[in-house]
Amino acid sequence: MASELKLSVNGETHTVSAAPETPLLYVLRNNLKLSGPRYGCGIAQCGACAVLVDGAEARSCITSAASVVGKKVTTIEGLPAVWAEVKGLPVTDNKELHPVQQAWIDEQVPQCGYCQSGMMIVAVELLASNPNPTVEHIKDAYSNKPPSPHLCRCGTYAAIIGAVQRAANAMKT
Amino acid sequence: MTIKMKGHSESSIRMPKLTRRGFIKSGGALVVSLTRPDFSMGAAQSSAMTTAIASWLEIRHDNTIIVRTGRTEIGTGMSAFYAQVIAEELDVRPDAITLLMGDTDKTPDGGYSAGFLTGAANLRKVGAYTYQALIGLAAKKLRVSVKELTVVDGIVSGGGRSISYGDLVRDKHFDLKIPVSGEVAKVDPKSWNGMAGLDGLVVMGDPPMKPMSQYKVIGTSHPMPGIPAKVTGKTQWTCDVMLPGMLHARMVRPATLGSTLISVGKLDKEMFPTAQVVVKKNLVAVLSPDEWEAVTAAQTVAAETKWTEWAGLPGSENLTKALRSHKWGAPSEAKGNADETVAAIARSTKTISATYEQPYVKHAPIGPFVAVADVRADGTATVWSHSANSQGLRAQIANTLSTPVEKVVVCWLDHAGQFGRTTFGGDGADGDAAILSQMMGKPVRVQWTLQDDLAWSASSPGWVEDIKCGLDAEGSVTAVQSAFYSPQSNDARIVGAVLAGMPHSEPKPGYWIATEWPYDRIPLRREEVYGMPNLGPDSPTVGLRGLIMRTPGQRQQNFALESLMNEAASASGVDPLEFRLRHTTDRRLVDIIHATARSAVWETRPSPRTEARRTGTEPVTGHGMNIMVRQNSYWVGIAEIAVTPQTGMVQVTKFTIGTECGKIINPRQLERCMKSGVVMGVSEALKEEVTFDTGKITSTMWARYKILTMAEMPEINIVQLSRDDQGYGGGSEAANAICPPAIAAAFFDATGVYPRRIPLTPEYVKRLLNIAG
Repeated sequence: MASELKLSVNGETHTVSAAPETPLLYVLRNNLKLSGPRYGCGIAQCGACAVLVDGAEARSCITSAASVVGKKVTTIEGLPAVWAEVKGLPVTDNKELHPVQQAWIDEQVPQCGYCQSGMMIVAVELLASNPNPTVEHIKDAYSNKPPSPHLCRCGTYAAIIGAVQRAANAMKT
Repeated sequence: MTIKMKGHSESSIRMPKLTRRGFIKSGGALVVSLTRPDFSMGAAQSSAMTTAIASWLEIRHDNTIIVRTGRTEIGTGMSAFYAQVIAEELDVRPDAITLLMGDTDKTPDGGYSAGFLTGAANLRKVGAYTYQALIGLAAKKLRVSVKELTVVDGIVSGGGRSISYGDLVRDKHFDLKIPVSGEVAKVDPKSWNGMAGLDGLVVMGDPPMKPMSQYKVIGTSHPMPGIPAKVTGKTQWTCDVMLPGMLHARMVRPATLGSTLISVGKLDKEMFPTAQVVVKKNLVAVLSPDEWEAVTAAQTVAAETKWTEWAGLPGSENLTKALRSHKWGAPSEAKGNADETVAAIARSTKTISATYEQPYVKHAPIGPFVAVADVRADGTATVWSHSANSQGLRAQIANTLSTPVEKVVVCWLDHAGQFGRTTFGGDGADGDAAILSQMMGKPVRVQWTLQDDLAWSASSPGWVEDIKCGLDAEGSVTAVQSAFYSPQSNDARIVGAVLAGMPHSEPKPGYWIATEWPYDRIPLRREEVYGMPNLGPDSPTVGLRGLIMRTPGQRQQNFALESLMNEAASASGVDPLEFRLRHTTDRRLVDIIHATARSAVWETRPSPRTEARRTGTEPVTGHGMNIMVRQNSYWVGIAEIAVTPQTGMVQVTKFTIGTECGKIINPRQLERCMKSGVVMGVSEALKEEVTFDTGKITSTMWARYKILTMAEMPEINIVQLSRDDQGYGGGSEAANAICPPAIAAAFFDATGVYPRRIPLTPEYVKRLLNIAG
C-alpha cells in the first residue's frame, strides 16, 4: 500500500506517494521524472541505475524508497549543484556542469550512453575519496566493487578512464 | 551491415529544377523533397511518401538547416558524420545543421541505421543538388555567372557582393524535387528475411559534387551532437515516454521457447488493486498504471501460470553435435570451382585442415527492449521505439495489427545500443506494446526485464566451419576449401505477434557468403555456406531465433579463414604477418598491414614462439594477428596476450587495431568506434556464450552471460590511414570482428595449442591444455 515518503533528492525535498518497498529507481523516474538513472537489469548486476546516497554509490533498482528517507539522494541531474556546493558557489543560478560531466563531454564518452549516468556517479564517488586516481584505481572502482562491475556494452571503458583523469585534473584547479 | 542494394538505371536522370510557390509573409525556406521517376506501386502506399512534410532538407531564412533522415544514431557517431557530409556539400558549418532522425512521419527515406555508407551517399547527393540550386539562385540575385561565385559558411559571394543562404530564401518558398528510387518497407513472404524495402530510398542522378581535395569539414573531428544532453540527463530516451492514461506492462513469458499456455495465474486484487492480466493466446501480460505494481503483480502471476512442456532444443553443450547431425542439403550460397579446388589441394605438398566453431552469442544491450504504443480505435497507431529501422518496424506493426501502413507512425528515440538486432525492423517490445494497446484502447509501455531480453530476444547463432588448404613446396597456399554451417540469422519476427497468434513476417532458412576475399595470390578457392532453420523448429511458438549481429556472417567466416591462415603460416614456418603479405598484391591491404605492424612493434618470427608452454603457474605471453576486408575498408588486428596455463586465465594485455577505410570522415568518431569495437571483440573472444537447456536459454543475467569489464580491457592502440582516392569505407563495423582471430592466434603463439573454438574461458583453456581440475 502506498505511503507518503519524504525524500531529499538533488537538494530538494519531495513528498511522494509510493509503496515503501518500491525501488528508488521507479520513484525517481516515474514520480520525480528524473531520467538520469535507468533500468538495466533490476538485480544490481550492471550499474545503469546508480545514484549517490549520502555520497556513496547505490543501485537504485534494489534500494527501497523507504530506506533513503532522511538521506541525500543525488542523480546526474543534481551534479551541477553538488559541484557548486564544493566550490562555494550559489547553487540556484549555477550554470557550470560538474567537472565529471564536462569531462564526459570533452572526452566524448557516451556512445549509446545508456550506462553513462551510472558511470558518472561512480566517477564522482571515486574522486571524492581519491583525487588522484591511477588507471588501476579507476579500473578497480568500476570493476571490483560490490555489488557488481559497471558494464558498458558499447565498450567506452577507455574513454571513461580518460574522462575520470580529466575530471580529476579539473577539480584541482 | 552489408545489405545488397538493387541496381537502377541513372542514365535518364537530369538535374532537378527549382520551383517557387510565391512569396510568403514571413520566414521563407527552400524545401528539398522527393520524386520517384521510375517507381511503380499502389496509390495507397505512394500517398504516404508524398506528404508535404516529406522533405529531406530545409534551408531556412534564419540560416538554420534541417536535415531529416530515417536512419538513426546507434552510438557510433552517425549523427556527427551525416551533418558533416551534408555540410561539406553545402559549404556550411556542421553545427548549422539540425538532424531529425528515424520518425516515419517526418523522415521519408527509411533504411537501416547500420548502413552509414548508403545513408552518407544519399545525403551527399541531397547536399550537392541543393548546393546547385542555391548558387543558381545566388547567381541571379547577384547578377553574376555561377562560375564566379564562392561559398564560405553559407555566404555566397561574387561580383563584389555577398548574400547568405537564408537571405536567398527569405520571404519565399522554394521546392526542389530530387529523384529517388527504392521500395517502401513492407512484410514480404517472398523475401529471405520476410521483409522488403529495408534499404530505404536511394537518391538518383549524378549532381556535381565537391572533390575530396577541397574538403574542409570532412576529415575533422566534429563531436557527436547528442552527448551534452545525455550527460546532463536531458535526453528523452525511449524508456522515458509517458502518456496520459498510460499503463505499464510486464510480460509473463512461456516456460520455454516452445511452451503454450495451459492456465493463467490468478491476480490477487487485494494486493494489486489497480493491476490487470491480459491474455491473447500465448501472450500474457500484467498491466498497471503503477510500474512497480506491474512488476510485482507480474511476478506473482508468473509463478502460478502453467505452460505445456517443450524440449525441442539440443542443449548448448550438444550444439556442435546437433549442427553436425543436421541434413544440410545444397549450400545456400557457393563460390568457386569445387573440382579444381579439390584437385589443387590433393596435388599440394602439405594439407592443413581444421574445424572452427563458436556457440550462440547475444547482442546484449545494457538496456533491455522497451517501447510505448498508442493504438486508437480508428486504427491509427503511434509507437515510440529504439528500432534501428523505423520504416521496417512500421511495416511489421501495420501487418500485425492489420491496419494500413499509413496509419502507423514509428518515432525513434535513443536507447541502449542494439548491434544489429533491430536492423530488419523486428524483435523487441514494440509488438507487445502495440498488441496490448490495441486490446486495452489505452497507451501501453512495455519494459522487458533483463531476463526477458536475454531469454526472448533473438541471438547470433552458433556455427561450425570446416576449412582446409593446400601448401606448395615453398609454403604458399594453393587453394582453400570451406564449408560454413549455421542456423539462420534473419528471424525478424516480432515475438509478441508470434505468441499472440497474430500476423507476422516469416523468414526463410539460409545463409550467405560474407567474406570479401583478401588473398588474390591464392589461385583457387571454393566457399560454401549452409543455413538451417532455427533450433527448435518444431516449436509451436518461436524456438531459438537467430538474427544478424555486428559484422554479421563475416565475423564468423573470417574467424575460420584467418585462423586457417595462421595455422598454415605456422606449418610453413613463416611469420603470420609475412604470410599474409605473400598472398596478396592489394596495395591498400599491404599498406595497412605495414602501418599497423610498425605501430605494434611486431616482432617477426613464426608462431608458436620458442618459449611456448602449456603448463605452469606463471603467465606465458604471445602475439597474433589477422586481417579483414569489408565494405571498402581494410582492417588489421594484432593481439598481445598472457595465458596462465594452471588457471586457464587469458588476459589480452594490448590490442593494436589498424584501419584504412578510404577517406576518414571524422577521425575522433572513428577512433571511438575502433576502441569500443575492440572491447566488444575481446569480450566475444574471452567470455561470451549463450547457454540453453532443452527448452530455454539459461544465461539470463549478467552473472551468467558475462561480458568484458573495465579491469579486463586491454591497452588499445589505434592506427588510421586516410586516402582521398577511394571514396568512403565502412568505418565501424569490423572493429569487433578483427579481435577474436588475433587473440586465438596469440594463444597459439603462447602455448603451441591452436584454439579452434571461442570463447577462451578458463574451463575451456584448461581442457585445451590438459590441465586437471
